[in-house]
Amino acid sequence: MTPQTSTIAASAISATKVYGSGEDAVYALRDVSVDFYEGQFTAIMGPSGSGKSTLMHCIAGLDELSSGSAIIDGTDLSTMKDKELTELRREKIGFVFQSFNLVPTLTANENIRLPLMLGNNKGDEAWIQKVIGTVHLQDRLTHRPSELSGGQQQRVAVARALASQPRIIFADEPTGNLDSITGAEILTFMRKAVDDLGQTIVMVTHDPVAAAYADRIIFLADGHVVNEMTEPTAARVLDLMKSLGN
Amino acid sequence: MFRIAIKGILGRKARLILTSLAVILGTSFLAGTSVFSDTLNRTFDNLFSDVFKNVDSYVRSTQVIEGNFGQEERQRIPLELVDLVKKVPGVSDAVPDVQAFARIIGKDGKPLGSDGQGPPTFGSVAMKFKGALWTISQGEWPMGPKDVALDEASAKNGKYVVGDTVKVVAQSGSREFTLVGIASYGDVRSPGGATFALFDPTTASEFLAKPGLFDDILVSGDGSKSDVELAKAINAAIPAKYKTETLTGAQITAETQDQIGSALSFFGILLKTFSFIALGVGCFVIYNVFSISAAQRQRENALLRAIGASRKQITRTMLIESIAVGLIGSIIGLVAGIGLSAGLSALLRAVNIDIPNGGLVVSQNTVVSTIIIGLIVTVLSAILPARRAGKVPPLAAMRATALEIAAPGRKRLITGFASIILGIAVVGFVMSGASNSYLGIGILLVFIGTIVLGPIIARPVALFLGRPAARFRGITGVMARQNSARNPKRTSRTASPVLIGVALVTAVTALAASIKGQIDDVFTAQFKGDYAISTDARGFGGLSPTLAIDLNKLPQVEKATGFGFLTVKIDGKGQYLTTVTPETVDGVWDIGLINATYADLKTSNIFLSEKTAKRKNISVGAVVQTTFADGVTRPLTVSGIYVNNEIGDYVANSHLVDGTPVVMFDVGVYIKTKAGADKAETVAALTAAVKKYGQGDLLTKQEYINKQSGQVNQLLGLIYGLLMLSVIISIVGIIITLLLSVFERQRELGLLRAVGMTRSQVRTTVRWESVITSLLGAVLGIILGIGLGWVIVFALKDQGLTSFKLPVGPTIVIMVMSFIVGLFAAIYPAWRATRVNILDALNTN
Ligand SMILES: Nc1ncnc2c1ncn2[C@@H]1O[C@H](COP(=O)(O)OP(=O)(O)OP(=O)(O)O)[C@@H](O)[C@H]1O
Ligand SMILES: [Mg+2]
Repeated sequence: MTPQTSTIAASAISATKVYGSGEDAVYALRDVSVDFYEGQFTAIMGPSGSGKSTLMHCIAGLDELSSGSAIIDGTDLSTMKDKELTELRREKIGFVFQSFNLVPTLTANENIRLPLMLGNNKGDEAWIQKVIGTVHLQDRLTHRPSELSGGQQQRVAVARALASQPRIIFADEPTGNLDSITGAEILTFMRKAVDDLGQTIVMVTHDPVAAAYADRIIFLADGHVVNEMTEPTAARVLDLMKSLGN
Repeated sequence: MFRIAIKGILGRKARLILTSLAVILGTSFLAGTSVFSDTLNRTFDNLFSDVFKNVDSYVRSTQVIEGNFGQEERQRIPLELVDLVKKVPGVSDAVPDVQAFARIIGKDGKPLGSDGQGPPTFGSVAMKFKGALWTISQGEWPMGPKDVALDEASAKNGKYVVGDTVKVVAQSGSREFTLVGIASYGDVRSPGGATFALFDPTTASEFLAKPGLFDDILVSGDGSKSDVELAKAINAAIPAKYKTETLTGAQITAETQDQIGSALSFFGILLKTFSFIALGVGCFVIYNVFSISAAQRQRENALLRAIGASRKQITRTMLIESIAVGLIGSIIGLVAGIGLSAGLSALLRAVNIDIPNGGLVVSQNTVVSTIIIGLIVTVLSAILPARRAGKVPPLAAMRATALEIAAPGRKRLITGFASIILGIAVVGFVMSGASNSYLGIGILLVFIGTIVLGPIIARPVALFLGRPAARFRGITGVMARQNSARNPKRTSRTASPVLIGVALVTAVTALAASIKGQIDDVFTAQFKGDYAISTDARGFGGLSPTLAIDLNKLPQVEKATGFGFLTVKIDGKGQYLTTVTPETVDGVWDIGLINATYADLKTSNIFLSEKTAKRKNISVGAVVQTTFADGVTRPLTVSGIYVNNEIGDYVANSHLVDGTPVVMFDVGVYIKTKAGADKAETVAALTAAVKKYGQGDLLTKQEYINKQSGQVNQLLGLIYGLLMLSVIISIVGIIITLLLSVFERQRELGLLRAVGMTRSQVRTTVRWESVITSLLGAVLGIILGIGLGWVIVFALKDQGLTSFKLPVGPTIVIMVMSFIVGLFAAIYPAWRATRVNILDALNTN
């Protein structure tokens, strides 16, 4: 696997997120501190409701922390205005969601280039072609999302996340809606993006097999980081999950 | 099911409000115009019953000529009748009355009263009398030949106070009087905005009419007889040779109310017509909102179907919702409409058309018809979407997103084209000679066909119109273009109201342009002089015939000639007769005489327009029996036929009425100056001559021509104003559709915001989508409107309209306005779109 580098792409410091107040307060995150390293594929795992999505949203500038800070590329997100956050997401972050990733009126090609076009940025054409080649979408570029299969749609989403060469890509259960073979295709591709293209990826998943594609796994439970594993295999993940379940 | 319907309504307040908005607007215009015309009607009814309150009998001539347009010219009666009437047992007092043209000149030298089509300017009698129409609120009654009283509003507008010298222009010329009193009519400052100069009977008769002649006699009884008996007694006492009739107070009140009522009813019908057009446009908006909401609820309805709801139940649920919306919307619309009419009345008062107080008239009829029409329109508009909702297959619950099935059906294509072709065929038949009355059907068919084809046309046209946006606005433009084309049915339903509004505006504009063009051509060709003196008093009063005589004495003037205007009876029908002065008209105005000269027009002759001669199938040498306002029928021999019928159907010699009681004004005086006359001196001399009369504007030839076509602008302005109702509704339609689309695209917007679309880019996208939709309606509307205008111009061929003129400038203005409308309509929806919460949008599954 990739040698671990010490450059931090993004991090959360004492991140706490509370919904509601008083007796009804729900702690989605409690004092979470975690770093995501450049060129590394990190998976976040944990039971439903453990705060995985919340953590991701807060670091990606889609949501605000109640206390603590989220840092991307050395900048504290809490100091930024909506417009700056939008530009940050456009230029430094790539997103892959579980479903409804694409704009239905735009072609695959336009969807891939969407963040670049929004920033009036042509992007690195050679790089974009390389990304398109890697996801095998050359002959699907003029199709609209409704004309693509679920797997193809996710591949377009991943290509979009990569096209602008962001500092970090966040993927929330990107294979959650796919069958295992198509899921494996997407995960292999994400793996390749890290290995061959040097991308940084953070992925939320429930699936031990999916998590095994990562370099490192962070385990969350009840808003806390409860464990961490490097160079995981599906069997080891499953074992750990069982022990955590106890 | 009823419970589900109610829950559905309450659960989606935003949708309820938006749907109701369309109903509210449509019904409020309807209610507003209805309340307004009822109020106006009652106002005048009250005014006249008040005014004639103490008049028990009313004596007038039976000799009357009714013109083409409902106006009448009644013969006058001699003063000696007053004494006759006074001697009739049961009469306590009788006074003569006259009402004729008079224009008060304000202190600043400007005539009072509004120009053009405004309320008339009158002179009349004010005399202390039990049944007097006027009361003196300040000062004294006018008693002598130098006295005048003015109505309150005129005194105020002319800045006159009792004791001032007031100049008044009437038939016999202009004269100065001393203001002795201020009068009021019933309880208003001046009736309906008209101005009044009031005199004692002798002065009024001599100054306003002809010495010794009056219009009518007002009688008050001593109470010994009933009104009916009194009228009978008076009638019996007046010898038959006077040809008079005696009405009771109640009769004259009712008659006057009727006259005003029918004049107002035209206005009421006009208002009603346009508010119905607006309501029709509103139907599209209501239909669209229900369609969108059915589409957005597709999954929910499918789920209901899957768990056992029947088609009927689904349809009924939506219909119940539409009834609720229709009812609530109509009630709010009614209230809003009452407010609207209050605004209108305030507006009239602000422009000095006094409406006696007494509040707005909200008749039961208005209330019931507004609510019923609103309800029917809403439910009718909801039937199709409701049926469609019922047809949703239970399987649709499993489908991903609400999508309207957009495949252009063959049936739609065939129906649309068939309707358009049929419509064009009908128009073609009319063009080749069939009756004009089929034209409406043809036009309607073309409109319906276009709207049926709308969803098919919408996508390609929207994509085409969106090109510039896509090219110059980058990705936001691309998305706006795609969004406007993604739901062609919705887009075309949104654009349809714009289409209708723009088509009507364009057609009216094209018609106006053609009329103006024609006026320009005609007057340029026929008017050979250099200056014209025109007056705004159309058909009622005008320039003194002595003005032309004065002008001819000026050294700079080669010829000055006046055109007069008489209402006469020919073959039992009221007609307008234009009078010319043969000695002076030659070389100043060319009416296109065929084989004749002006010299052939003796006082015993008449000229006919070619069209009239053809219609009556008579020619030179025939005798036309013409009855004049003095009751005398004169045989006039046709001595010439002319082509240019713009001047009217009949032309006679102005000297014909010399020495008769017939009152004649000139409506225009046309001047040809001597070659080599100094321009400045000429203008100065002409101005001085005109000023002496205090009436009439001196205009150059071009100014005069512009003024003629300018009158078209007034009507155009009124129609534009009324079409604004429809335009407002179509704007609201765009706003509602955009809002619903924004709600529907929450997830997409959330995604876009997540991957880096800024708020201003979101706004741009919505804005351009709106502009493209609006332009779609505008482009199709302009095409239809030009066609419609062309057809109308063609249909008016017999009215003398010969050439169609394309309103290029106004068309561009309409396009620009549509663009602005698009931008404007997008403001709120675009703002809403930027407020989409990214996380909420991404989490809704
Ligand atoms: N908008 C909100 N309001 C209140 N509570 C919320 C809100 N969003 C999330 N929560 C709560 O915060 C906690 C963490 O939610 P989060 O979505 O991060 O969990 P997750 O680990 O992503 O779960 P899953 O695996 O089911 O996606 C949960 O208990 C959830 O109920
Ligand atoms: Mg989650």
